[in-house]
Amino acid sequence: MSALTDLLATPLLWLAVTLGVFEIFERRSHRSGRHPLCHPVLWTTPVLITLLWATGTPYADYKADTFLLSFLLGPAVVGLAVPIWAQRERIKRLAVPIVLSLAAGAVSSVVSAIGILSLFGAPAEILASIAPRATTTPVAMAIAEQLGGVPALAACIVLFAGIAGAMTATPLLNAMKFDDYRPRGFALGVSAHGFGAARAFQVSETAGAFASLGMALNAVMTAALLSLLAALL
Amino acid sequence: MLAAIFLLLACQLIGEALHRITGLALPGSVIGMVLLLGWLALVRRERPTLSAVSGWLTAHLSIMFVPAAVGLMQEGSALSRYGLGLALATGVSTVLTIVVTALVFRWALRRFTPDEVGKRPVQPAERGA
Repeated sequence: MSALTDLLATPLLWLAVTLGVFEIFERRSHRSGRHPLCHPVLWTTPVLITLLWATGTPYADYKADTFLLSFLLGPAVVGLAVPIWAQRERIKRLAVPIVLSLAAGAVSSVVSAIGILSLFGAPAEILASIAPRATTTPVAMAIAEQLGGVPALAACIVLFAGIAGAMTATPLLNAMKFDDYRPRGFALGVSAHGFGAARAFQVSETAGAFASLGMALNAVMTAALLSLLAALL
Repeated sequence: MLAAIFLLLACQLIGEALHRITGLALPGSVIGMVLLLGWLALVRRERPTLSAVSGWLTAHLSIMFVPAAVGLMQEGSALSRYGLGLALATGVSTVLTIVVTALVFRWALRRFTPDEVGKRPVQPAERGA
């Protein structure tokens, strides 16, 4: 029996369970045509929380066992340079609209999120967790941690923002009579990161390319903006 | 393959080091991204393996943040207290940001790059588009 107890002290169990549960929901998401509400993280997270709770496993143990997965976020963020570089010609041609709308989008995202949440009397650590809500999850978690927020909360806020953006963008932009897929895609990527990009690719190739660009650029822009704010305050 | 992984890790390592040395508030991985961008601009060549490795990482981003999301199990009190505010702030901010970004992009496109306006890649109205 003690042989099995030793096994439980290795990361194998929770790594395997995480991959297995994720894969189940990943397949369901694929079958749904990648509907935002079927995002695998949305379903994997509560199932794992339930399993940890049912087995009396402390979160710290789970976190240590799945460190391998979290570690990969860093190199993944560095790798976002590759798609930005691949789109350099497009960035050069449309530099002015891209830079101005990126700056406007990043500022309105941070100001509106913090502004509304502070009306509810939220403390600084919660505000710091929502500030990077428009960036892609790994960047949002890194920024939140940097600002003294809660990375887990930031991850969930970003997830929710992605779902909200992916579900509202199309009717919203149609109502505003946007028939150019460049601003449409770019806005979706700036505000709703990877979810926005995934949604934009379903609509048009152009929108998708601009959405990926918006996501990657806003990761840098919001990080820079919030760093500057943090340094000033 | 190893060279591409090395490049990513080296950029992150230097980024993290710069973050600690300079006290720059930018996360180390984001500094690493900017460094990699600089490297790609400096040393120009085709990099199929780097594209493959970074593409693989990006394609599997979702599962990498599951461990962090599970950490919500410790945030029950914050969620029950500020859940409504969080949902409202996130939803409104997301929609507002889409509108502001799209409007400014369209305005700047017409104002500063009139040549590009005509190149509008209009596509047939797609269902649900």
